[in-house]
Amino acid sequence: MKNNYSRLKWVALIILGGILFFLSKAATAATSNTAFFQQQLISGIVSDQNGLSIPGVTITVKNSTRGVVTNLDGEYEITAPANGTLVFSYMGFKTFEVTIDGRSEINIQLEEDIASLGEVKINAGYYNTTERERTGNIAKVSGEEIERQPIINPLEALQGRMAGVEIEQRSGISGNAPTIRIRGQNSLRTGSSNNGNLPLYIIDGVPVNSSPLVGSDLSGGTGIDPLNTLNLSNIESIEVLKDADATAIYGSRGANGVVLISTKTGKSFEQKTQVEARLYSGVGEVSNKIKLLNTPQYLQLRNQAFENDGVVPDQTNAYDLLLWDNDRYTDWQEELLGGTAAITDLNLAVSGGNETTSFRIGGSYHEEGTVFPGDFKYHKVTGGLSLNHKSKDEKLNLNLSMNYGVDNNNLFGSDSYISEALSLPPNAPQLYNDDGSLNWADLTWDNPLSNLQNSSINQVNNLISSLSISYEFLNGLTFKTNAGYTNLYRNQKSITKKESYRPDIRDRREHLSSERINKRKSWIIEPQLTYSVHIGRGNLDALIGMTFQESENDNLRISGEGYVSESLIGNLEAAEAVDVNEYLNIRYKYTALFARLAYNWDQKYFLNLTGRRDGSSRFGPNKRFANFGALGAAWIFSEEPIFRDHISFLSFGKLRGSYGTTGSDQIPDYGYLDAYEATPGPGGLYPTQLTNPNFSWEENKKLEASLQLGFLEDRINLGVSWYRNRSSNQLVGFPLPSTTGFSSIQANLPAMVQNTGWEVEFSSLNISTKDFSWRTSFNFTLPETKLVEFDNISQTSYQNVYRVGYPLSIALLYNYNGIDPETGLYQVQDINGDGNFSYEDRTVIEELGRQYYGGISNNLSYKNFSLQFLWQFVKQNGYKGYFAPPGNVSNQPQNVISGIENGTLQQASQNFTAFNSYFFASTSEHFISDASFLRLKTLGFSYDLTEKILQNWKLDGFRFFLNAQNLITITDYEGINPENPGVETLPSLRTITGGLQINF
Amino acid sequence: MLRNTYFKQLFILLVILINTSCEDYLEVDTPKHKIVSATVFEEDETAISTMTGIYNELLNADFSGGWNYSVSVLGGLSSDVLEPVNPNSVSYAEFNQNEISPDSEFNFYLWSSTFNIIYMTNALLEGLSQSEGVSEEISKQLEGEARFIRAFTYFYLVNLYGDVPLILSTDYEQNSLIAREGQEQIYELIIDDLQASIELLENTTSETRTRADKFVVTAMLARVYLYLGNWEQAEFLSSQVIAESSKYELLENLDEIFLPESKEAIWQISPVGRGNILTSTNEGLAYVGSSFSSFKISDEFVNSFNSEDKRLTSWIGFYTNATRSFHFPYKYKDGSSISNITEYSMVLRLAEQFLIRAEARAQTGYFSGAINDLDKIRTRSNLESISGSDLEINQENLISLILEERKRELFSEWGHRWLDLKRTNRASSVLGHLSDSWEDTDILYPIPEMDRMKNPNLTQNDGY
Repeated sequence: MKNNYSRLKWVALIILGGILFFLSKAATAATSNTAFFQQQLISGIVSDQNGLSIPGVTITVKNSTRGVVTNLDGEYEITAPANGTLVFSYMGFKTFEVTIDGRSEINIQLEEDIASLGEVKINAGYYNTTERERTGNIAKVSGEEIERQPIINPLEALQGRMAGVEIEQRSGISGNAPTIRIRGQNSLRTGSSNNGNLPLYIIDGVPVNSSPLVGSDLSGGTGIDPLNTLNLSNIESIEVLKDADATAIYGSRGANGVVLISTKTGKSFEQKTQVEARLYSGVGEVSNKIKLLNTPQYLQLRNQAFENDGVVPDQTNAYDLLLWDNDRYTDWQEELLGGTAAITDLNLAVSGGNETTSFRIGGSYHEEGTVFPGDFKYHKVTGGLSLNHKSKDEKLNLNLSMNYGVDNNNLFGSDSYISEALSLPPNAPQLYNDDGSLNWADLTWDNPLSNLQNSSINQVNNLISSLSISYEFLNGLTFKTNAGYTNLYRNQKSITKKESYRPDIRDRREHLSSERINKRKSWIIEPQLTYSVHIGRGNLDALIGMTFQESENDNLRISGEGYVSESLIGNLEAAEAVDVNEYLNIRYKYTALFARLAYNWDQKYFLNLTGRRDGSSRFGPNKRFANFGALGAAWIFSEEPIFRDHISFLSFGKLRGSYGTTGSDQIPDYGYLDAYEATPGPGGLYPTQLTNPNFSWEENKKLEASLQLGFLEDRINLGVSWYRNRSSNQLVGFPLPSTTGFSSIQANLPAMVQNTGWEVEFSSLNISTKDFSWRTSFNFTLPETKLVEFDNISQTSYQNVYRVGYPLSIALLYNYNGIDPETGLYQVQDINGDGNFSYEDRTVIEELGRQYYGGISNNLSYKNFSLQFLWQFVKQNGYKGYFAPPGNVSNQPQNVISGIENGTLQQASQNFTAFNSYFFASTSEHFISDASFLRLKTLGFSYDLTEKILQNWKLDGFRFFLNAQNLITITDYEGINPENPGVETLPSLRTITGGLQINF
Repeated sequence: MLRNTYFKQLFILLVILINTSCEDYLEVDTPKHKIVSATVFEEDETAISTMTGIYNELLNADFSGGWNYSVSVLGGLSSDVLEPVNPNSVSYAEFNQNEISPDSEFNFYLWSSTFNIIYMTNALLEGLSQSEGVSEEISKQLEGEARFIRAFTYFYLVNLYGDVPLILSTDYEQNSLIAREGQEQIYELIIDDLQASIELLENTTSETRTRADKFVVTAMLARVYLYLGNWEQAEFLSSQVIAESSKYELLENLDEIFLPESKEAIWQISPVGRGNILTSTNEGLAYVGSSFSSFKISDEFVNSFNSEDKRLTSWIGFYTNATRSFHFPYKYKDGSSISNITEYSMVLRLAEQFLIRAEARAQTGYFSGAINDLDKIRTRSNLESISGSDLEINQENLISLILEERKRELFSEWGHRWLDLKRTNRASSVLGHLSDSWEDTDILYPIPEMDRMKNPNLTQNDGY
């Protein structure tokens, strides 16, 4: 290790030395490069169509790097050759070029360019491009759209807004990590500790490990998303890189797409100090409930079961009938999940700058209650700093970005709370006794509130910082270094009180505590050289760079037991016994050489070559390196005279395509190491895995073709993309029979997963007048995932999960044979007639994944009012919500009674046969239903005070807004959460918030 | 020209960067939570730790731990001793009704955990054979212990599943496609391992009853010979253990037998292996009656005890609450202790050796010796001795008496009753009464479907 560190130091020294060396050389070079044209001073004012001056407009001399920016009054001054051309550009306006022709004063009126493609800057990671010129498939959501949503996790904000990006919020519990899939599932590995389907997250140039932090509270298996600690109001944009052209430069980590999150920076240099304050608050509630039986219906069903079974109810088997009050009725969903969650959010940011330095500093506070009874809360505090500096000659640039967030999620530990709200009989006893203590009803039930005492507090501190320095030491040649450091610390403290157990077993239980500590530290250095030169009628951009990355993860889990007093639970010192349940110390190193070569000819033909050579410590010594690369090309055919002159309604047309390879090294570390670990018991060592030193990368080949069209001066834009991603060499825990001593071994499987699909993106500016504008955008994805190839699948346990030629998200089911008229019970078909029901009989294949999905959004504005809304739609099938067989001590959906009558449901019975019949039928197509939904995902309304009032109040802006989330869900699905069908999870909350934003 | 020199320098810089970085840079240290296998067998201490690891893991392995998927529980359910408290819990009911599905997860846990332990013993044996750093004395001892554990594990495999794969290496490629071997071959390995183990452990005596020594292995071998009907060897070996009276004795107080290091114990597993705060035995956790109990003792079995029998009061508990009441095995009293080990899980104990010898003697016609051994167990439990009764003894009823005594003495321990019914060919006659669905093929558990799918060479037992 020591050796490696000293080597790194050496590398760093060389980089530094290199910078200094080139700096000194460049300084002398600059002077020798004088122009021979006669220079003159030009000044003027830049204004918009209404004659208002525009500050911050960039004015450059064409084919040079010289440029200035207009001041607050829109004035500029620039020295330029007398026969030169000035280029005026500003975001949201059409770029304007004017030849100087010896004039000394040039006043310009810029034309607003609402639908401009060329001006929409796109972050492609190592380089920037524009919507017009990009050769790859990159989707973008602006900070404005993200900020509008009163939520915690930035990924959730992308739901329904991007084609090809599937985001599933698996539960409405605050802080829960959503699942994100960019163009489908590529890897067969889906386990929570070994998921091969996570995209690469890059925040301000720094890769961030965002695999969910698994814990032991309500968020259960899905875990907490570390991205929660980001401040949503501080996000400038989120770009998602999808195709080979865009992702191959990320090589072995690009297989599942790349999510680039950029945080806000000071808007521009030379601006006055501005303050933005934003505040909103509101409420949230469960967005969906199920209609369940009321007490008479429930009792009828229960009595029917006893009658059908010929069993006499007694206090053991019918405590709900004989011991509980038959006249009680409780809506348990209302009682247990029916609360309202209060939401408050405060955000403050100050930005400003002078000629050479700009800054933005901000902080935020977000608080969110829960829908559960009791005092549970999520809150987060964030702070951010962005600092940009450039030298006067603009050759040296320095950007610093720091984002720190602390969040605190106070929940309780229970894995059955949500399902209890659905299954508790409607006549179950009252929760509390008259004296306020929990009611255990003579031990006939487990009081659902008993778990609320077991608090589980999860705290995450997360620092993401990056520094980038660049110096243009020759015309067009820039040396740049990105450095990043991230540090995440997570602590979860869960307690289990004796009092949460049933009174009769309490004396045999102890107070427990469990603490999880996760530390994730990483640093990265990426020295890069970029070169940009004008060759022929086009521009050549070249980039070469290296990556050195190292991360260290520590996981520690400690439990304590036998606390004398309740107040001491969690204080490990006071525990009678302390035990370390888990200790992991993982190091990961990664290095790469990457390059890009891009050339465009005449702004018409674009070629983009990217490549990367990657090395990762996750592989055995002989398998560490691999090469990845892609070729992307685009042709803006609307620039061809034949189109320009003859098809006037076509304002923009581009054909685009790319092909390349990426990989995935998302596997557990040290898989190649033949090693022993400590047994849970003291003093022992044992082998914990089979080892295979020869496994290698998963390979992901991506092909894409796309057509982008703009009509009527780009008022209507249409983009259609087709893609095909093939992931082969699947790196999985190859399942082994237990005779090997273990259940799997890490190996590359001769299996190939193919994701194909169509993506359509459409936007139109329907109406645009002085006072009123209406813009519509629409995205649609038609995905298809298929397991193309898997040799000998029948010898692996995947035989029961996947089928060659079918999608990955399938269910293998029994053939449902209807209800046996004699017994009134479900029947499924014993296909092979062996008298048993096993996987061999599960021949019906149903697809459960999304068949298509998308979103439609509308932005309307009239004078100072504006209204935005987004409908999200998903077409899919899913398991019906699971309930116990009718007749058991468990509530049922309201349609059970009619279902039994009309023969779609089995009759009420509690015996073994009935249970078995129900159990098998629940894995038949009879239990699959349509789980599609249409959801009004966001609705936003805002009003800006008029200029006049603002001027009186000396404000730059004052806005009132109302934002709602998940306001309406339309679905035929009968379970509680159509977004995560078949699992009893809390559905996403329906929230309504109102607030105001002040700028001054 | 100027530009060219820049590029040259730049190029050199890049080349330096690339060469210094890649290969070496990616070396990561072994993490603190792992030890590379080769290092483990470089010295005595770490090599001994791998054996300690196996003993620890015996508590966590499903088949041996005493928890819900153990031989003790599932074997008890399959025989006429245990029943699920809730008859609707399918996973237990299928064992209780001898209708085990090849897809049964519990059966899979039981099956697969044996191979994990066998892997550990094979890894240890391979490690020792390639090691130069472990001293000869320690090497012999560890080999003896590892071979004992392997034989012990195979004993249960062959008895529960019949023909099973014979696994003697850690080579996963070979083991993943291995076929089943006949029971004779498996027993050959068991006897070979145990005999070798006795020799290797000749000069070692364990200070604790939680590690295998010569007597532990001898007691196990006595049982194996009993199962194979080699009465002479069974009597000879059990006599060796019984003769070691300074170390082992039958305890008069039934409540002291399952305590740590009790003098009746030949081999015990300590709950320390669980490695967390909970220090009860798994049997205690699984059996001691509560509203969460899954298992009870069948009423027929409770009624079969003589009311004077001390075991009825000491080893059988009764639980009752508003909704249910049932009897449960109460050999282990501790179902919830924290950082305070009060009991060990019993694997081999002296009472069984007396019963082995009694049976072996009865089979060879040495009735008085057999009755003498049987009475040791009976009188301890306050039952009248056979020798003192006027019962007319013949071989058949004597063996029946011994088997009945085995049932009452060893119930809820290691599936004794289930294995006894099978080895004496009484399963069909005894269990056939209890269930209409009984078939003669039910005496073997199914080979789990999960493994059969991964290994096409694994055949299924008849009747599944």
